[in-house]
Amino acid sequence: MTTFVIVGAGEGGGTAAGSLRDAGYDGDVVLIGEEPMPPYERPPLSKEYLRGESDHHLVRPPEWYDENNVDARFGVRAERVDTSAREVELGDGSRVAFDQLVIATGSRNRRLPLPGLELPGVHDLRFAPDADAIKSSAKNASKAVLVGMGFIGAEVAASLRQLGLDVTVVEFAGTPLERVLGPQLGGAIETLHRDHGVEMIFHDAAERFEGDGRFEALVTKEGRRIEGEMAVVGIGVQPVTEVAEKSDVPTDNGIRVDATLRTSVDGIWAIGDVARHEHPVFGSIRVEHFDNALKMGEHVAKNMLGANEVFDDAHWFWSDQYDTEIQMSGFATEWDETVIRGNVDERRFAAFLLKDGLLLSTFSMNWKHDVRRSMPLIVAGVRPDSAQLADPEVDLRNLKPPSD
Amino acid sequence: MAGEWVKVGPEGEVAEGEMNSFGAGDRMVAIANIDGDLHAFDDVCTHQGCSLAEGELDDTTVECPCHGSQFDVTTGEVIGGPATESVDVFQLRVEGGEVQVLINEQ
Repeated sequence: MTTFVIVGAGEGGGTAAGSLRDAGYDGDVVLIGEEPMPPYERPPLSKEYLRGESDHHLVRPPEWYDENNVDARFGVRAERVDTSAREVELGDGSRVAFDQLVIATGSRNRRLPLPGLELPGVHDLRFAPDADAIKSSAKNASKAVLVGMGFIGAEVAASLRQLGLDVTVVEFAGTPLERVLGPQLGGAIETLHRDHGVEMIFHDAAERFEGDGRFEALVTKEGRRIEGEMAVVGIGVQPVTEVAEKSDVPTDNGIRVDATLRTSVDGIWAIGDVARHEHPVFGSIRVEHFDNALKMGEHVAKNMLGANEVFDDAHWFWSDQYDTEIQMSGFATEWDETVIRGNVDERRFAAFLLKDGLLLSTFSMNWKHDVRRSMPLIVAGVRPDSAQLADPEVDLRNLKPPSD
Repeated sequence: MAGEWVKVGPEGEVAEGEMNSFGAGDRMVAIANIDGDLHAFDDVCTHQGCSLAEGELDDTTVECPCHGSQFDVTTGEVIGGPATESVDVFQLRVEGGEVQVLINEQ
């Protein structure tokens, strides 16, 4: 009998356990997670769940783990991987032996070492209790101050506006999501939020949080003082690699895995936010989105059972803000051409990002079908004609080169 | 189980390789046309309720446009993505140029 151990019980770890059983693997599965609850979906935490419109969406029903003979150890932290003994050392000092191991420890929020960060009413958002705390603060607040306008900041801004709060955001860059989307598409997000009454201050950053026993104001580097009853900081995440750092599993901005999600240590894999994988199209990347964790969870289960398949997913995510559905596929850090299909001002468009003619990524507002349809093109390394991309009458499914 | 044949729309409304959704009593039913064969299934994704007919059809797999859940339209079973519950599938017939599905009484 073999034992497969999964460290980290978020979307990736939970899905890996589920997929192993779905595939008929009947050896031992141990799923170790620091959070006390079974794996749940994080995307709603900044959206439906934050607004009180939904309860948690669990990756598998709570009874699934017992029913499928998965040794679920929730509320336990894995401290260290011992690659020579092939054991995982847990926070309580106990050890779990493995034949194969999946590291799915995810990421944690970046924290600024700023005065006042510890004040009640200053939040960040990662886990379910963080969302509960923000909800609770929002009940007694009329104005929120947000630091950072990446996806989490933008989604929280939208949700708090929808709950009736005034929202002011301080963002270091020149538009929301500028680093990810560039100024043009970042500008479309800015307009969306301006149209919904969010006040945004760009090219400024948090200096300190002030308050007498509770948050009262944010003071910025440029000397602004922005008052509010609550603050939410969303300035990005970093991979949780400690479990591997005292072992010979290589880490470097994440845990290094090859295109099959395997580390350089035999039988040890990494998936999700923590995995810096070799993607056949995008190169060495680390992706911090729900769908990636899920797809890698499904994929690693197959490979642990011997499939040895390359993970070539096009990468895809969504972000719902107000009544606008945002979706994006692919991966681009730089591009030299942006082709628009649809109408940016009406917030009904797809934007195709190309470099040297190669389609790398598709971003959309209320135009999601072409995000999906572009994914096979991105993976196939297609250089589509700009005029065809811009023409809504052209079905992207017809642009794919014939498969052999 | 007792059921009722409910009209969903005229034959020929769904092009090959495409899907549409139709009201059938108090349910929304998606019809997919795969190589000329029609398949009927619940249009409401079991994950978060999005319309599956607005998603993508690849062979017999429908992919939800919102969060990527995938179902086999011939069996309703989950193939991938965040959904864990299958969608209902319905028997389908064409009578007098009109597509009907068999909705079981609850």
